[in-house]
Amino acid sequence: MKKLRNFFWDGSHTILKKRIVILQLAIMIVLASTGNLYSAVGAGSADQQAVQKKISGTVTDGTGKPMPGVTVSVKGMAIGAFTGDDGKYSLTVPETAQTLVFTFVGMKTQEVLIGSQNVIDVVLKEESVGLEEVVVIGYGTSKAKDLTAPISSVKSEDLVKRTTASAMDALQGNTAGVQIISTGQPGANPTVRIRGVGSLNNDSPLYVVDGMFFDKIDFLNPNDIQEMSILKDASGAAIYGVRAANGVVLITTKKGKLNTKTTVTYSGYAGFQTPVNMLKMANGKEYAAMEVDKGVASDLAHVTSSVAKFGGSGVNPSTSTDWYKEILRKEAFTQNHSLELAGGSEKAAYSLSLNYLFQDGIMDSKNSYERYNIHGQTDFQAYSWLKVGYNFILTNYTTFAPNNSAFLYAYLSSPLYPVYDETNTTAFPDKYASSTSIGYANGAFSNPVAAANYYYDRTKGFQILPNIYAEINLFKNKLKFRTQLSEKLASLSDLVYTPAYYVDAYQMSTDKISHLKSVQERFTNYVLDNLLTYNDAYGKNHWTVLLGQSARDERWRALKGTADNVSGIHDEYMYLDLSNSDNRTIDEDGTDYRGLSYFARATYDFASKYLLTATIRADGSSKYQQKWGYFPSVGAGWVISEENFMKDQHLFDFMKLRASWGVLGNDGVPANNGFSSYTTGTGASGIFNNYGTSSGTYVNGYVTQNFYRDLDWEVVQEWDLGFDFTMLRSKLSGTFDYYHRMTSKLAFKKPQPMGAPDIYGNWGKVLNQGLEITLNYRDKAGDLVYNIGANVTTLKNEVKDINGLAYIATGTSEFPTRVEVGKPVYYFYGYQVAGVYQNAAEITADKIGTDNGVQPGYLKYKDKNTDKSLNESDKVNLGSYLPKLTYGFNFSLEYHGLDFSMMLQGQAGNKILNMNRARRLWYSDMNGDRNFVTSLWTGDGSTNKYPSAYATTQGWNNQASSFFVESGSYLRVQNVQLGYNFIVGNTESPVKCRVYMTADRPLIFTKYNGFTPEIGGTGYDTNTYPTAATFSIGCRIIY
Amino acid sequence: MITMKRLRYYSIILLAVIASSCTGFLDKLPEDTLATESIDYTDLSLMYEPVSGIYRMAESENPGFVHWMDFGIRGVRGDDLDKGSSASDQSTLTDIKYFHNSYAAVESFWGLNNSWNDYYGLIIDANSALEELDKFAANIPPSDNTELELNNRYQAEVRFIRAFAHLVISREFGDVPILTDNNALTTVKKSTVEDIRKWISDEMDYCIAHLQDCRPNQATPVGAVTKYTAYLLKAKVCADIAGADNSSTYWDEVLTATNAIMDSHLFSLYGDYYNLFKYSGRLCDESLFELQFGTENDVQPGAFWAFQGPRGDQHGSSISGWGFMTPSSDIVTFLKNRGDKIRLKTTVLYCDTATMTTGPHAGIKYGVTPSNDTIWNNTDGVKYFNGKAYLPTSDMYNKSASYGERNNVRVLRYSDVLLLNAEAKIRKGSSGDGPLNDVRGRAGLTPITGATLANVLDERRAEFACEWWGERYNDLVRTGNAATALSSFGFVAGTSEYLPIPLSQKAYNVNLQ
Repeated sequence: MKKLRNFFWDGSHTILKKRIVILQLAIMIVLASTGNLYSAVGAGSADQQAVQKKISGTVTDGTGKPMPGVTVSVKGMAIGAFTGDDGKYSLTVPETAQTLVFTFVGMKTQEVLIGSQNVIDVVLKEESVGLEEVVVIGYGTSKAKDLTAPISSVKSEDLVKRTTASAMDALQGNTAGVQIISTGQPGANPTVRIRGVGSLNNDSPLYVVDGMFFDKIDFLNPNDIQEMSILKDASGAAIYGVRAANGVVLITTKKGKLNTKTTVTYSGYAGFQTPVNMLKMANGKEYAAMEVDKGVASDLAHVTSSVAKFGGSGVNPSTSTDWYKEILRKEAFTQNHSLELAGGSEKAAYSLSLNYLFQDGIMDSKNSYERYNIHGQTDFQAYSWLKVGYNFILTNYTTFAPNNSAFLYAYLSSPLYPVYDETNTTAFPDKYASSTSIGYANGAFSNPVAAANYYYDRTKGFQILPNIYAEINLFKNKLKFRTQLSEKLASLSDLVYTPAYYVDAYQMSTDKISHLKSVQERFTNYVLDNLLTYNDAYGKNHWTVLLGQSARDERWRALKGTADNVSGIHDEYMYLDLSNSDNRTIDEDGTDYRGLSYFARATYDFASKYLLTATIRADGSSKYQQKWGYFPSVGAGWVISEENFMKDQHLFDFMKLRASWGVLGNDGVPANNGFSSYTTGTGASGIFNNYGTSSGTYVNGYVTQNFYRDLDWEVVQEWDLGFDFTMLRSKLSGTFDYYHRMTSKLAFKKPQPMGAPDIYGNWGKVLNQGLEITLNYRDKAGDLVYNIGANVTTLKNEVKDINGLAYIATGTSEFPTRVEVGKPVYYFYGYQVAGVYQNAAEITADKIGTDNGVQPGYLKYKDKNTDKSLNESDKVNLGSYLPKLTYGFNFSLEYHGLDFSMMLQGQAGNKILNMNRARRLWYSDMNGDRNFVTSLWTGDGSTNKYPSAYATTQGWNNQASSFFVESGSYLRVQNVQLGYNFIVGNTESPVKCRVYMTADRPLIFTKYNGFTPEIGGTGYDTNTYPTAATFSIGCRIIY
Repeated sequence: MITMKRLRYYSIILLAVIASSCTGFLDKLPEDTLATESIDYTDLSLMYEPVSGIYRMAESENPGFVHWMDFGIRGVRGDDLDKGSSASDQSTLTDIKYFHNSYAAVESFWGLNNSWNDYYGLIIDANSALEELDKFAANIPPSDNTELELNNRYQAEVRFIRAFAHLVISREFGDVPILTDNNALTTVKKSTVEDIRKWISDEMDYCIAHLQDCRPNQATPVGAVTKYTAYLLKAKVCADIAGADNSSTYWDEVLTATNAIMDSHLFSLYGDYYNLFKYSGRLCDESLFELQFGTENDVQPGAFWAFQGPRGDQHGSSISGWGFMTPSSDIVTFLKNRGDKIRLKTTVLYCDTATMTTGPHAGIKYGVTPSNDTIWNNTDGVKYFNGKAYLPTSDMYNKSASYGERNNVRVLRYSDVLLLNAEAKIRKGSSGDGPLNDVRGRAGLTPITGATLANVLDERRAEFACEWWGERYNDLVRTGNAATALSSFGFVAGTSEYLPIPLSQKAYNVNLQ
């Protein structure tokens, strides 16, 4: 027992602590040495530059207030200073210095020629929010104000504010049109949906990280992200053709800049996660009362057996195990450290960073996520006409996945038996108590603590993302050619080990021996891009033309083996060949898809007033019989504020109308063979001669699969109408968009009759439409700067065509969903509950009641067609898992060095099927949430909402109905941060510091009867990993 | 700088050439998938492979014959087996037991659809295998009679399994389609119960002509169906058609088919009825068809055995399961009353015949099996477990093996041949004493002289009690005795016999509505 605990737990903590110490030491050394280096260089140059002069001055804002913390630097030199509290600065510069640059977040950067001046006072103006900002678009960049597409640009600061392991988690509630559903499980990927669900196969966006395609970006440290753009509509995304239908998230990682002094940045936080808003389960007493009330002998026996075995009297057992408390940690540690170095000379710019993240899981077992990243990048101006460079991100991670079924058991298991039971003599290695000891006979009531601990699932993986590029200036900076090769080289090794254990016949390792599964996977993908860009102007006409060609290959191969009887005492023993049994299996799988594309984009504007964008991509894919697809888009913009008739008004600073249309593809549809196939091996070979002493032998066989059909990618046609504005002297800014996305060639598996395999085809149409509104107000009251922002997205999802089928039955057969024309995808289907039968008279008066032998305390279902019989035609649409409304609010205050921010996030209009409660259909003896167990019907008039204890055991009450479909609306306090910014050291070599405290996801407001209303998939709450709040302190030091 | 400038342009041209030279880049076969095109149909040594594949499918759950729920539906109707487990566990099976066939919950029950798909899925695979055999046949020279006959034999093995699947599904749902063309999945029409049996009888004529003339345990490969397996299936469907009509000519067919088996003198009853169902009884000389399983993880009948295993805290014993499909008190009383001791001890496991007096389990009730395994009591009030699904610890290849692992699922036996023969003889007015008493003798019962039809039917009930193919229920239905025997379960002749075709299947094919 001791050994096992060691193996699962203690060892790693020690290692962990050591790692933290080493890392902190490394950071200190690096900080110290770079500091010295820099001052040495500075001193040296001062000696050589004998002629120096001192410049000083004051920086104020538009209202005349002094501005502290403004960066003052000499252009092209590694010299700089900050303004003090009074807005004053002073700087010693060489004679050769020509220009001073004043920068401050939220203000327009200002450059001032030094000339002969010794005192330079500057008034900084506020930046027109975001408009001059350059945003990343597909295969290029654009000024935000010139866009014809709704592209959300996410700031790096917003990403690092959240203490999440993955960058996409940090986006939750941040951006209109983007729905994020995250779980609390360390290392798990959030569900990301952009503008609804237009596919029944794959609704995740495409991620493009420095040119390489990904389907998730969990490998990235948010600290390494420089810019993130979300291409939501066809005009923005169509340049990514067949991969773009679910939106595109473009990410560029941090880069050094030419002619900048070296900066060293450390940022990090440490804190703990704690389960919050936990659902209250019924305790022993409450559960026992329900079991007694059922009036069923076998249920009563659980109560009396508990009393007999574990104490208590009569029907009052003294045992009351809170299983969630037993399997959860109160405080799970988390930390994140990042050290960056960036700078640039005249010919080369570089950046280098090292990141470390550790997140312990809140399940009290071997359950954590640890990740290292190294990111490096260098750009060289090799010749005046040639720029070359490389970029790489190395990721190395270790995930210990929890046994999620422990959460299921914790919900279902009776509180009437304890965690340990020394009299359970057959149990080994630990004396865990068995649910069978008080009469349960189903693995679903297994001991949750044993389930959590007898489990080991370690994935170690690494990924290298290198890319190399050359950019050739062919003609006067107007005609450029760029070629880039990006690769993803990744490998992972997953060991799933089940030790030999026994708790009872329903909870044991198969055959009471240990089992090992080892999975090795490798990914070798590449993308080769060749781009030719031409931009020019003639008078007020400006245009850009992009021609591109791209080839890609995505290869995956996996080898899986299993073995029995492997010793798991040490990780080093976990090898398949150390098995002492012949029972080994091996499996291999792989895919290889290629793509070849040609694309073009033209943008044109007249006087920055009339904007036009057109793109087209021709995509070839090896995945389907149909090889080529064409994806065009057009976008137009009218900047009304540039018109003469707008010159005299002062309400709006900027105003733009946009319209766009385009076609996108989704090749997240399974590949199509287009031929009949067959399988061989033991799964297709009969076993014969199980006779006498022989255990039988295989006779080689095969089974053919003759059902196939030509399958193709899905096609989305999207319209977008948008309006961007800033007004009230740039204090208020906003964006409105209406989107209309029609997926045609919707691919789905058409179920076939008679057990034939479902066949895929492009058979349907589904429409997503809605509004996206983003508003931001930023102003000052004295020294107090405040900002209020909000974003709201509406979604209406409707199936338009499913090839003449009345409906497609989906979900589980007991609690089904349906896909049906005129309804949202996967809507919940079942009876509407009208109340509870209160007495015998009510039943006698109701034909449905008498026909089905119901009793008082049973649920009463609505007879929709009033034909006095309850059948299929009385089942109705009980709502959809898709929220009709998602929203986010943020609020921030800045006062001198202090800042405070708060972010809220929520959704409304979606439904959740509470499978936790619905499981009573299968497990009538299960425990339940306190609200359910203590609200049961106990007699005439007691409740019209909940059935009686006895009724909960009866199939009638456990049919798919509105009883199990609950609202998933919630409002969450997503993030609260309090920070203080200050400067250490002298103005010659200042160190900018920020310390902050963060509470991440501390509070949620919801009526949902479950652990979290954030449910992925199609809305079945099958008891996911509870979400935890994270409380942390952190700091950021820039030198 | 001229050279530099040239370099600039050359590099572009080079890249353009590389880019455009990718012809065939997109033409790629899918990874890890075998195309049937790559099968060498001229290599006749591969010809048995599609047949072996069909046996494997028959041994599987999905498709196949051994899904636990499918047995639940086959077995729960009748008076031999209770649903078992706790009252609310899979309670729709209770609705089925009580013939609430009109309940909306029954028509939309997942289990019904599951069994429909499992049987028809197997039929679809069998049809595909027959197409494969045709492709091999096309490559056999007309002069090569040996290979041609071998091809016929292989076709017959597949056609037997396909026919048996049709019988099983028709016994459950009544009028269902005969599916011989996989292109007709959404259009195929229903055939009547009688037509399905007539078609099976015709199929068996083909099988009898081409299958091996030996016992299955003498066959190549060992355990394959033979001519005599086909004879028995023919006898069974003819008995179904004949029903309670003693004047039906189909009783002659029953007689002919069973006589053919008996006259071969290849088969004999396994002397030890108790061990017939244990490890040593596999593929004995009584066996006409078994689904064979091995010790390998991937050749197990899913949860088939665990479904029937003893429920409750078994204190570490591998003799343990979910406790469904338990012998009814009716069958226990029936066996007791007729003094059928051997069959009683084989069919029923007890769990509360004694109380432990010492040790850590003192005070707990238990039972001991004839093979000396202890079965502990449970708190759900389940008194008996299915003994025919029981594989003793002594038969396990290792002590911690899962319940039932490596045992075969028995399907068709020689005792069925003898009892059908006896029944046909009695119905036709002659004596059935001979074959009947052979069966009784093996069970340790005294011979009967001048046996009646009722004697034979009682013997059938006792002989096949609690087995897996719904024999008892079919006997009650075909003999017209169901309305009386099952009145307490609400059986109504003319409406209760068959389950409704699953709702979702009707949606795919209007001909099923």
